Order: sequence, then C-alpha cells, then structure tokens
Amino acid sequence: MTAKHLLTGKYGEDLALDYLKELGWTILERNVAFAGGELDIVARERNELVVVEVRTRSEGWMQSGEDSVGPRKLRRLVRTGRKYVDSRRWDGPWRIDILSVTLRRDGQPGIERFEDVTAGGDFS
Amino acid sequence: MNPVRGITLRGIEAVGVEVEVEITGGLFSISIVGLPDAAVRESKERVRAALRSLGLAVRGRVAVNLAPADLPKEGAVLDLPIALGIASAMGSLPELPRGIFLGELALDGRLRGVRGAVGAAILARNESVPLFAPAENAAEIALVKGCEAYAVDNLADLFAFFRGEIELPPVPEYRLEENPFFADPDFADIRGQAGARRALEIAAAGHHNILLIGSPGSGKTLLARALRGILPPLSHEELLETTLIRSTLGLPFEDGGRPPFRSVHHTASTVSICGGGSALRPGEVSLAHRGVLFLDEFPEFRRDLLEGLRQPLEDGEINVSRATGSVKYPCRVLLVVAANPCQCGWDGDPVERCICSSVERERYRRKISGPILDRIDLHVAVPRLLPEELVAVEGAGGESSSIVAERVRFARRIQRERWARHGFSCNAELPERVVKRFLNLSEGVRPFLSSMAGKLRLSGRGIGRVLKVARTIADLSRNEQTDVPHVAEALAYRDGGLWR
Repeated sequence: MTAKHLLTGKYGEDLALDYLKELGWTILERNVAFAGGELDIVARERNELVVVEVRTRSEGWMQSGEDSVGPRKLRRLVRTGRKYVDSRRWDGPWRIDILSVTLRRDGQPGIERFEDVTAGGDFS
Repeated sequence: MNPVRGITLRGIEAVGVEVEVEITGGLFSISIVGLPDAAVRESKERVRAALRSLGLAVRGRVAVNLAPADLPKEGAVLDLPIALGIASAMGSLPELPRGIFLGELALDGRLRGVRGAVGAAILARNESVPLFAPAENAAEIALVKGCEAYAVDNLADLFAFFRGEIELPPVPEYRLEENPFFADPDFADIRGQAGARRALEIAAAGHHNILLIGSPGSGKTLLARALRGILPPLSHEELLETTLIRSTLGLPFEDGGRPPFRSVHHTASTVSICGGGSALRPGEVSLAHRGVLFLDEFPEFRRDLLEGLRQPLEDGEINVSRATGSVKYPCRVLLVVAANPCQCGWDGDPVERCICSSVERERYRRKISGPILDRIDLHVAVPRLLPEELVAVEGAGGESSSIVAERVRFARRIQRERWARHGFSCNAELPERVVKRFLNLSEGVRPFLSSMAGKLRLSGRGIGRVLKVARTIADLSRNEQTDVPHVAEALAYRDGGLWR
C-alpha cells in the first residue's frame, strides 16, 4: 500500500513526461537516484541537457508547486545534477527547470514550466 | 574567436580593452576576469537580460577575459563589448566588423550613455577604426574631428547592422555655432563699481586671476557672476578640452561654447576641488578649465587646500597621484576670489565701524598666504555704495555686457594671433621666460618698472605678471606697444588695495 501523496507525485510526473514529449524533448532518464538526492526527469532540449524537477500539488493547496523549491532544495538539485552530468560524461551546457503540476478537480491538470531556475547564481 | 574592443578610462584618457569570451558546457554562469570593478562585474546581469530581450538565451559556463589583465577596468561602458563577445561566441553573429564599442545596456537592450565617450572617440580616431557609441553620447563625440562614429540606439539595431539589414546613422561632424549668450547678471545691471568693472574686463581679456575685496553687500558675488557674460566663447579645441573632462565625469554636454563657471563652497573637500579618489576623477579646478573658478569667502577655505592649488594654477595642469596611479588633468582657470576686508567685514567702510582688534585683523589676513596673493594679478577693492549714492546712480547703468564682451573678444583675438606660433591662446598663459622678450615694451617701461618694483616690493614673478597684465591692457586699447600708462595701471591693481 503506497501513501496517497506519493501516488499524487507519481501521477504528476507521468503528466509532466507527456508534456515534455509534446514539447519535442527527448526523455533520457527517469528517477535517477544518487546518494544525496534524486532527479525526477532528465531530458534533452536540442543540444542542452535539462534536469527537470516536478512538483505536483492538488488544487487548493496553500503553497504552489514552484514555491516549494527553496534555496536548500536548489542547492541539492545543483549538486545532484553535477553528479549526473559527470557520471554520464555530458560536457555540453545543462540547466535545471521546474515543472509545476496542479491537479484540478475537473480533471484538467495545469502545467507551468520555469526555465533555468539557477540563473547564474552561486551554488558552489 | 576574435576579441571585441571596448575601453576603460584612465584619467581623461580612454584605454583600449580587448574582451575575449569562451563558453564551455555546464550549468549557466558568467565569470569576468581582468580586474573588473563592481560595475563591470554587475554587467553580467544586464548583458544576460539584454541578450534575452533579443531571444538569445545564454547557456553554459561563460568566461569573460578583459585584457590587458593588469589594467583595472571600471564602469558600465564595457556592457556592450561583453554582450557582443558572448553573442559572437554563441555563434549568433556574423564576423564582427573592426571597431570600438561602448555602451551601458538596459535590461531591454537599449543603450545608455556612458562616461568617457569623448576619450573613446579620440582613441578611435588615432587608431582609425570606427566607433559604435550610444546615441546619447553622439553630440559630444561629434566634437572629435575625423572620427568615424555611429550612434546606436539599442542592441537589436546593432545586430541588424551586423547582418547587413540596416544602416546605422553616422555621427555628423560638429559645427560650432557662435550664438551670443545671455548675460545674467548683465554689466548694465551693476551700479557704480567702475574700477571693478574695468578690472573684470582686463581679467576676461587676458585670462588673469582676480581678487575682489569688499564689505558685505558691496556686490563682489554679483560682479564675479557678471564676469561670465563677458568671457570670449570657447574655440572648437577649447570646447573639446572642457567636454573631454566633463565626459570623464559623465556630465552632460554643454553646447554653445560658453566657458565654464564653477562656484565652489568653502566647505568643499580637497579631493572634490583638486581631483582624486581611487578612480582618479578630475576635480572642480579641472572642470573650470578654460573658464572661471570662483572661490567666494576666500579666507574661509582651508589653508592646505589653497596651498595645494598654487602649483596647478601656475602650470595650468594638475597631477593627481594615488596608490592606484597618477594622471594629469588640465586646469587653466581664471581664478576669481572674493573676500571681506576683515573678520567683521567693515574695515575701510566709510560709515560702519570695524570692530576687529589689530590681532584679529592680522590673523584674518594671514589666512591668505603671500604666495597665493602673488599669483593673483588683479587686486580690486569693491567699496560699498552708500544708500544715497545707490539712489544717485539709479538708472545710470553702465555699458551692457555685450559691448564689453565685444572689446574682450577683440583683445583675445589679437592675443591668439600673436601667440599662435608659440602655442598659447592668451597673455596669462605665457611662461615667465617668454614674457620679456615678446611683450614689445616701450623705452620708458624698464626704468619706470625698476623704480616701482622696489617701492611695491614686487617679486620676480610679480614683475612678470604685471607685464602680462600691462600687455592685456594695451591689447584692450589696441596698442602695439606696451607703454608706461599700461604698466602703471597694471601696477595699480597689484598693490593689494587694502591688503598691503
């Protein structure tokens, strides 16, 4: 028996995957786990590798999905992302996007994408 | 990868900077090396936003190198070359044309005006490469003859130009328009004070320093301000010199060739007047170059400040030296100094009584050192007019500024023609060694001067300065020869009035 919020998250990631495929991105991997963190989706947009963090919320939740990624989570994403590109020997540019999925009661999910959320900040 | 050329300022001089950009894979970041100051380091935010406004998303790890590596780079003027370097490294631009690029970027890609555009234009002309500058700076750049310059409104236009889609407007050559400027206050508004007017006319004609001494309310400040209205207009070269200094500070271009008039308060710091700071900026004395530096309430100025001005006033240039380096700024100013005769202000007044003790009077006068007084050619007493005198001269205004200005301009033209082959433009600029040989003194001058010099205790420099003033007086009266009456009048301004 899986907890309900984990099912919601899984469902959100499935929706996100369809969304990205529709954008024409190549999905490389899902749920890549490293010590210290997990990457939800790794995809490629043209010549750029994108680490996608999916945040799913049911409608009416107090905090929106994108707001739930704070500086600590961001640092963790950067760290795990670096591990990933090193392990796969990717030497091109890469970035981190956040995909915020809102599950509405009427069944139509709302998906918003936030591109390159680190924006050149210092995460060393 | 070819570097993009920009500039940075060292003093008033623009120094070429090469911007090299390398982009490698990785998470997006921009690092700038080559001694950038805070403004240069912050340019990465502006550059990124400006490029995004053109639909260019910068990705990967961007390394920007500013060469030469050991020259400190300052200001936002490097925004444009950095943006071009990044766009070019991303492969979004065709081969860049040769040229020097300058401009601060707004987030939406507009180009803002920058400091040092005139210096950049001079550099571009000397290297005979085109200059691409913000449209805001076009007016001052136009002053530099023989510089191929283009005014750029925004980054999108520049990119379109590189792709050959549009032409950029070339900066036209500047034409000096001699429009008579409005004198405020006008000489006609000043009542009485015939002696002071005459002295100001001489000061304006020969660019001689002048000291006005008078009681409170006698009109010293008014007279000093009226001086501006009779000064001859700047020539093209002079306008370029003054604009170059203003451009270094980012002050707007002043058209019309009106000489600068800088009034300085006595609380001003030494750096603000002489120039300095870690960026080696010019001070008020350089901003007043080719114009007037007015020091009201002269004895209230700090002594070290005044003494610091001694040599620059003599040489017409000031060396600003700091740990970060040293630069030379021109400061050929007409120094106008106003002072009360004593602490209470009423010494020598026909009605009011001076309440200063002799010790106080002594102390007050000692605030102004001999060496400084020796460098001021014209000492003028500005007596207060009594109420009944003021009423008597009501309406009997003297000559208007425009008439006086005409005489001054003529006298200055004679001087320019006479000294052109020596490289000077007015009598006050002559170095001592030139003075006696070229002043065309009449027979009687030498014996007259030697008898008077002893009586007035003139220094060697003092004698030279008296002769220069005498020459200006002769020029005003259109005499070829410097004669005894001219020297006599010059000596009369020398004796310090109340202060000797």
